[in-house]
Amino acid sequence: MKRRGFATLITATALSLGSGSALAQAFNWKKHDGQTVNLLLNNHPWSQAVREMAPEFTAKTGIRLRVEIFNEEQFRARLTTQLQAKSSDIDVFMSLKFREGGVYDKAGWFADLTPFLNSPTATAPDFNFNDFGDALRKGETVNGKLVGLPINLEGPLFYWNKDIFAKCNVAEPKFLEEIPEAAAKLKACSARGDATVWAARGIRGAIPYAVSAFIYNSGGDFATPDRKPGLCQPNSVKGVEMYANLLKDYGPPGAANHTFTQVIEMLGQGRLAMTHESSNEFSNIMKFPGRDKDIGVKVLPPGKATGISKPIVFGWGVSISNFSKNKEAAWYFMQWATSNEMQTKLVQRGVAPPRASVFNGLAFKAWTTELPVRQAWANALVEISKTGTDVSFPPSERIIEAREMVGGGVQKVFLGQGAAKDVMCQVDADVVNLK
Amino acid sequence: MVQAMRGQRAASFEWMVLPAVAFVLLMVVFPFGYGIWLSLLEYKLGSPITFVGLGNYAALLKDEQFWNGLRLTFILYLFALLIQLVLGVALGIFIHGIHVLRGLVRTVMVSPFMLPPVVIGMMSIVVLDPAMGVANYLLKSAGLPTSHFLASTNYVIFTVIAIDTWQWTPFVALIVLGGLQALPARVYEAAAIDGALGWRRFVYITLPMLGPTILTAAVLRSVDLLRFFDVIYITTQGGPGFASTTLNIYAYRRGFEFSDIGYASALMITLSSIVLASVLVFSQFRRRLTW
Repeated sequence: MKRRGFATLITATALSLGSGSALAQAFNWKKHDGQTVNLLLNNHPWSQAVREMAPEFTAKTGIRLRVEIFNEEQFRARLTTQLQAKSSDIDVFMSLKFREGGVYDKAGWFADLTPFLNSPTATAPDFNFNDFGDALRKGETVNGKLVGLPINLEGPLFYWNKDIFAKCNVAEPKFLEEIPEAAAKLKACSARGDATVWAARGIRGAIPYAVSAFIYNSGGDFATPDRKPGLCQPNSVKGVEMYANLLKDYGPPGAANHTFTQVIEMLGQGRLAMTHESSNEFSNIMKFPGRDKDIGVKVLPPGKATGISKPIVFGWGVSISNFSKNKEAAWYFMQWATSNEMQTKLVQRGVAPPRASVFNGLAFKAWTTELPVRQAWANALVEISKTGTDVSFPPSERIIEAREMVGGGVQKVFLGQGAAKDVMCQVDADVVNLK
Repeated sequence: MVQAMRGQRAASFEWMVLPAVAFVLLMVVFPFGYGIWLSLLEYKLGSPITFVGLGNYAALLKDEQFWNGLRLTFILYLFALLIQLVLGVALGIFIHGIHVLRGLVRTVMVSPFMLPPVVIGMMSIVVLDPAMGVANYLLKSAGLPTSHFLASTNYVIFTVIAIDTWQWTPFVALIVLGGLQALPARVYEAAAIDGALGWRRFVYITLPMLGPTILTAAVLRSVDLLRFFDVIYITTQGGPGFASTTLNIYAYRRGFEFSDIGYASALMITLSSIVLASVLVFSQFRRRLTW
């Protein structure tokens, strides 16, 4: 009895020690209480929402967030300056992996997230990384290394003002080729009032995002079958021509300096008949009174001749700087920001969720079924996530410059500085010469 | 004995210039020297850094965008400088003649160049928007032809010149006003006795005596105009096309958007040399004009 009692005591002590050690190793949201995490973010609905919801994160973890948000170009300039100098002032930053992932990785700016993800003390048990779509997880993996977590899903969509179309008795375009036809009818229609017929991005660097689906749906491609720049191919030229002519013949004056801000302002004010703009801007458009009733949204119509519908789709991601001194606290932020709970809240602000559980969840479904336009937007997102591509540039090691060249070429065409064929063949040659 | 004391005193104060020397070395010589060093490298983000000597400068000579940037920089510089000096002198003389509400007039005049460039840029975008801006509305109302202003490849650089002139002419006028107030009255009295009045007095007396003042204003504006950046970046980002991509804008894009640090440094060193040369030329003129 005595011996049994002793054995029980030993067992109980061992168990209590074991459970104590297990407790010590368990994930704890308060582990980094008192630390500060610095975020450098692009101006995006996701970033605005995170800034507003930062106190919730602080209440949950005790970690303070210092959030800096800049417009895309200034954001990249600041990021480059800080990380070139190996500054530890930035802990978490946004990036587009398809665009700059390779270069940033070569520069050694990304921290490897795999050790954090695999650590039971660093990652919440309910985080469920596999809940992100396979393509999105691969998108955040550069050179075999997980360097980011996806925060959204986006791509350009075709928006049109149903009221203006109805007033002018013009049917919604079902095929790409019907867009210029509809534009011509709308231009001739006095019931349109002072509304602009067509608007789209005209600033050089912003054009590739919007023009790509025109190229693909026309049967073109950014690359030839042997992986050389392919904008000179007849169908690519056709797509470029259509985009440029729509802007030239039906676009607002000054379109060459326009990006999404001007386009969305016009659409939101009810002074634009149709455009091809970001799915992200949906929530901003809906803020304008009356737009939830008169705006239609769908994927850019397929080519009539080709039957092709190949939209652009990608997602922004957040990464931890390799020079950060608070990597684990930064990882805590990333988990919270990409958690199921947060994404469910972000949906209400028009941020398309990259988590399958949220996309298929009851809250998202309830929100989308409230208004037909929300349902249309969600359907379009599902479609682009299935059929889309993130390739909006010709084959090149220097993607940023190559995209700029494409935008410059399209701009030249709509400014009337050259024929589409000549200009785009020159773009191909210039991309080949990029070193 | 006195000389020895003076020598001792001079020696004891020599150390006092050291902070200024250190400051110049740290804040001027080092960054400029480092810029020159970077311009001799092939330094692109994500690629190994290699020494290329004058390779970046040789590439500049073959770069169409460099020549376009240089041309636009000089168009902006020459037109804006000339217009601002002429209008600034006229405005300065006009204000010099005002005796009622002088303080209020000067305060109103100072306001444009006290505004931050972001405000100027945003105001310009709103006012000059081809579709919704006030400028075209007024032109249309007056029965005049409208313009695309900042969205026109032909007129964008002249629109930028107009914006800068609106902002900085009062600055030139204030400098000229200071110069006018310092002119000796006895010269004018003598001129009046000799019968030099009106236009002749301006051409033969006021303008020559204002020479050093105008040159000072010219130097200050030259430096600003050659490295003009903010308003262009805010309003057009160098577009449409490359119609307002001055050297400074081009260097910024190469450096920060394409992460081509070596080439961007070569562009900036070239621009800095042009700024330095213009300052030296004006300094020579000023020396000759001093009275």
